[in-house]
Amino acid sequence: MGTMGLALPWKARISSTSRERGTRVEPSEHLAGGPDQATMDARSADAALAAACRSGDLGAYERLYLTHGARMKNLASNILGNPSDAEDAVQETFLKVQRSIASFRGQSSFVTWIYRILINTCYDARRSRLRKKEIANDDSLETPRLEPRAPGAHPTLRMALERALEKLTRHQRDVFLLYEVEGFRHAEIAGMLEMTETASKNTLFQAKKNLRQML
Amino acid sequence: MKVTCSHRDRIFEDGTPAEWAALEAHAVSCPLCAEEIRAWQSLSVAAKQLRDDSDGPSFWPRIERALTEEAARNAKRAGRRSWFSFFPSLSPVWPTVLAGAFVLVLAIFGGWVIVHPQAPRRPGKDDKSLLESSALKEVERAETAYERAIDGLAAETKPQLENPATPLLANYQEKLLVLDSAIADLRAQAGMNPSNAQLRYQLLAMYQEKQHTLEDVLEAKQQ
Repeated sequence: MGTMGLALPWKARISSTSRERGTRVEPSEHLAGGPDQATMDARSADAALAAACRSGDLGAYERLYLTHGARMKNLASNILGNPSDAEDAVQETFLKVQRSIASFRGQSSFVTWIYRILINTCYDARRSRLRKKEIANDDSLETPRLEPRAPGAHPTLRMALERALEKLTRHQRDVFLLYEVEGFRHAEIAGMLEMTETASKNTLFQAKKNLRQML
Repeated sequence: MKVTCSHRDRIFEDGTPAEWAALEAHAVSCPLCAEEIRAWQSLSVAAKQLRDDSDGPSFWPRIERALTEEAARNAKRAGRRSWFSFFPSLSPVWPTVLAGAFVLVLAIFGGWVIVHPQAPRRPGKDDKSLLESSALKEVERAETAYERAIDGLAAETKPQLENPATPLLANYQEKLLVLDSAIADLRAQAGMNPSNAQLRYQLLAMYQEKQHTLEDVLEAKQQ
């Protein structure tokens, strides 16, 4: 293990013992038994939203946007490195959802399916950016541009973390962003990235270990 | 629950709440574990710096406009399809009338050809649009080898394309179907007119597009 505690620029900002803030343990993943009432409600809401979108109800897309739009944009922004490309990716995701909603069979949750589309769209955009060599003189892939984001966010800390994230593998970066930044559970991440829950946990562990060494 | 330093990584990876509690209890008397826990947790806290739930006011209207335009385009396409479906409902008299008109046009054209006979035009030596027989054989040989190579590539992508897991793969699958259909058409035309170099170029372009699409599918698989 490295000496991250000394190297971290945000050391002074972090309380030394706040497990609630720092580590998220997912009790539902360790407990036996069926889904609780909240999970059942979430599933039925998810299915209802999918059905409304399938019927072409624009209001359903707006509900989807109100619930997930900001999170989708934030995730896209962290993958692509700037909010403008992120907005394009989110818009493209909504269009793809509209185009292919008829083929959604409900094998995964609707929201999981949408995030999977979003992630693929982001990586398509990254590839296309590389192909066009638009980034030849732009170091945005190595060091994502710093544009105004969360008020109060510590720029040095964010920049250090963004740079370190770019050095992770794609899966490690995706799992870290989805779990630690966006707050998804491993079960949801597994559905989005088409991996097992165990693989998601292991990938997060490897990602954090690598980040520790880099920072 | 007895926890030691050796359990730390496993708990970091997949610890239950009870195991975390035990690790923290152990950390009270173990400075190394206390530092490791603190550093591990600080990564999670730092990650929150990358979170920004603020939303631009004009973003939803932009998406809404794009969705509405897409829906309108789809409706237009569906309308066009229903216009074509109008044909089967025509009365049986119409096909007879159309066939009669076609025969009449053929008869007029045939009569004109008989009245104005022309010597068949022979292609000159400078006419590069036609391939000579030796060149044609070489082109056909190369084309067969290229086609076989692309078939090999297609075989690798078959499992993904048979059950496309993502909309992107479904799009690739559709694109490949369109390309295959265009290739089949061009091959049929080239079969009827094997010396036409233009057709061969078009066929080559289609094969290249298919190759690039298959490469994209493989790239998507590796991602």
